[in-house]
Amino acid sequence: MVGASGAGKSTLLAVANGSVPATAGTVEVLGADPGALAGRALRQLRARVGTVHQHLELVGPLRVVHNVNAGRLPAWPAWRAAVSLLRPQGLPEVLAALTQVELADRVYERTDRLSGGQRQRVAVARVLVQRPELVLADEPASALDPVLADRTMTLLAGTGSALVASLHDPALALRHCTRVVGLAAGRVVLDSPAAALSPADLAAFYSR
Amino acid sequence: MTGLQRDPVRWAWGLGALVVLGWSLAGAGLFSAPVLNGAGTRQFGRFAAAALSPATDGAFLGVLADSVLVTVAYATLGAALAVGLGAVGAVAVARTTWGRRRLGWALARGALAVPRGLHEAVWGLLLVNLLGLDPWVGVLAIGLPYGAVTAKVFADLLDEVPRGPYDALLATGAGPVPAALYGLLPAASGGLLSYSFYRLECAVRSAVVLGLIGAGGLGYQLSLSFSSLRWPQVWSCVYALSALCVLAVVAGRAVRRRVADPRPAGGRLRRDPLLTGAVLATLAAVGWSWWYLAVSPATLVADRTGAQLRYVLAAAWPPDVDGPLLSAVAAAAVDTVQMSVIAIAVATVGAVLLAGVAAHPVRPSPGRRVTGAVVRSGLLLLRAVPPPVWALVLLFVLLPGILPGALALGVYTLGVLGRLAAEATEELDPRPRAALTALGAGPVAGWLYGVLPAASGPVLAYALYRWEVAIRDTVLVGLLGAGGLGALLASRLAVFDWGAVTTLLAALVLLTAAVDLVSARARAALR
Repeated sequence: MVGASGAGKSTLLAVANGSVPATAGTVEVLGADPGALAGRALRQLRARVGTVHQHLELVGPLRVVHNVNAGRLPAWPAWRAAVSLLRPQGLPEVLAALTQVELADRVYERTDRLSGGQRQRVAVARVLVQRPELVLADEPASALDPVLADRTMTLLAGTGSALVASLHDPALALRHCTRVVGLAAGRVVLDSPAAALSPADLAAFYSR
Repeated sequence: MTGLQRDPVRWAWGLGALVVLGWSLAGAGLFSAPVLNGAGTRQFGRFAAAALSPATDGAFLGVLADSVLVTVAYATLGAALAVGLGAVGAVAVARTTWGRRRLGWALARGALAVPRGLHEAVWGLLLVNLLGLDPWVGVLAIGLPYGAVTAKVFADLLDEVPRGPYDALLATGAGPVPAALYGLLPAASGGLLSYSFYRLECAVRSAVVLGLIGAGGLGYQLSLSFSSLRWPQVWSCVYALSALCVLAVVAGRAVRRRVADPRPAGGRLRRDPLLTGAVLATLAAVGWSWWYLAVSPATLVADRTGAQLRYVLAAAWPPDVDGPLLSAVAAAAVDTVQMSVIAIAVATVGAVLLAGVAAHPVRPSPGRRVTGAVVRSGLLLLRAVPPPVWALVLLFVLLPGILPGALALGVYTLGVLGRLAAEATEELDPRPRAALTALGAGPVAGWLYGVLPAASGPVLAYALYRWEVAIRDTVLVGLLGAGGLGALLASRLAVFDWGAVTTLLAALVLLTAAVDLVSARARAALR
């Protein structure tokens, strides 16, 4: 998803994970309408959708291991979630995910002690242990240098889940995505296979 | 990969806290002697049943209304004096003022410990000996200790503001005062205003407590009704008290919200009507209270006041240091510490469990709204009733000793701490929790991962801060025979043994300062 800031990218992603109710039209996410569900049914749908938020929204005072394990909260009963805060549960999966994002050596660090790029990778690791069917990523590459941005996109695209990402950088969209949707003022103004677009087309889209 | 490293300092503090709690519970006789009083259950039942049928006859309501006005007037003047003293005092004790001059900072802080270490009731008893039965007694008894506490909290609020903007302004060459005005005060202003209104709410309760020892108003009425076993009248007083507290909470909340989230002003300079109204109403209330209580500055400078002050000071020095008194003081100090520890433990556990429910939810469901309202009114009732009254109520079902006093303080502190914890929860960034909800976490798991880790720091810090307050409040319940330094002080004051009073006051101040020190260390370890 590409578009200028204020075009509605973040809102669309929030509608898709059920955080924001749609004011008009119909919504279908993985075959269900999040606006029509409540309670357990909504939680079950949400468990199938993983989100990397623009500002990450990690819990700063928690250690990295718990922030990653938070991806499994929908699958865990409350008592297990509580026990895990004292004695981390399911460590092998957490370590596997953190190894993928090259952060295994910081597993017990407090999350607010990490740098911005490291926190970004914790957020990705959370999605990796959640194993959702759909990954929503809101500006996952902002605040990252080009190399890290590429690596993050590769990780997100390689989870085996469908990936919907909002991106500012047209080159990144063309390199990692199969389809490019352009938004302007809340409306779709461009929808094309990435292969059919050139960087010049996207530059023209941004300058409209 | 590094192993899971627990912070050894925090573990030591946690372990130490458990040991002290166990020692206190043992000291209260929980493991060694019977604590329940089966005989009082029926009286307790009658007391509880009267909650549904408070006294509503016209004559009593007239008396009640008059008591409410007296209490409000004392609370308003006391709180106004406290905020004034606190604003001046905060500058004097802020770390920002002293910079690297740590000795000066420590001395300024130490000076505050003296007025702060004495409970309002103790101030009241002392001032009555100086000024006689004068409205100044109530105003000063609230204003002086509150002023010291307010100065400390204001200074902490200023010191806790992130230093980046302030340092940046200093780096551009701004002087320290303008830099503080632009870089520190705006970030702290919400907290300062919120705390001022919180103090007003506390002042209402202190005015009631002063009434219990004879200053008139609601407290006096409450003690009259209680001692004549007129339970319906007691409940009318309690409800009037709760209504007053609600008023203070609602006003404080409205002001605080507006400060945190100002109306969009656009291109015009416009004063917020709510904030302007609140400030004007408070000023008007101060003027009215001055008139209603007929406060006269002349009393403070009267010859008789000076003569009395000279007499008391001469009699109070040197302090009494004979052996039997000192050992009695030491034993009473141990009782006081144990009571305060039990009280804080009860309050902290309760507050942590209730904070999530008591906090105003972002997007409430109807059921959640009702539970929240019930828990909030319960907490309000707990803190509206002064601890000595809770102690009397608990004496229906518990045998006299440390435990009823400690539990009375505990339930009262739970009322205060529960509200502070709920507010701390509300002030957290809601987005990490929302992110957990968005990935399908249930309410309990979301609370455990999104709220508890972020809220436990501030809540424990509040609890440690309330521990100092609890130490002072034990004096109050001590007056009713729960033991500790309060009981000893009351007996010495009653016979005008001023030398012993000096010793006891010094012991109280030292004890409060020691608790202050331990609690500050513990809070530092929490960060």
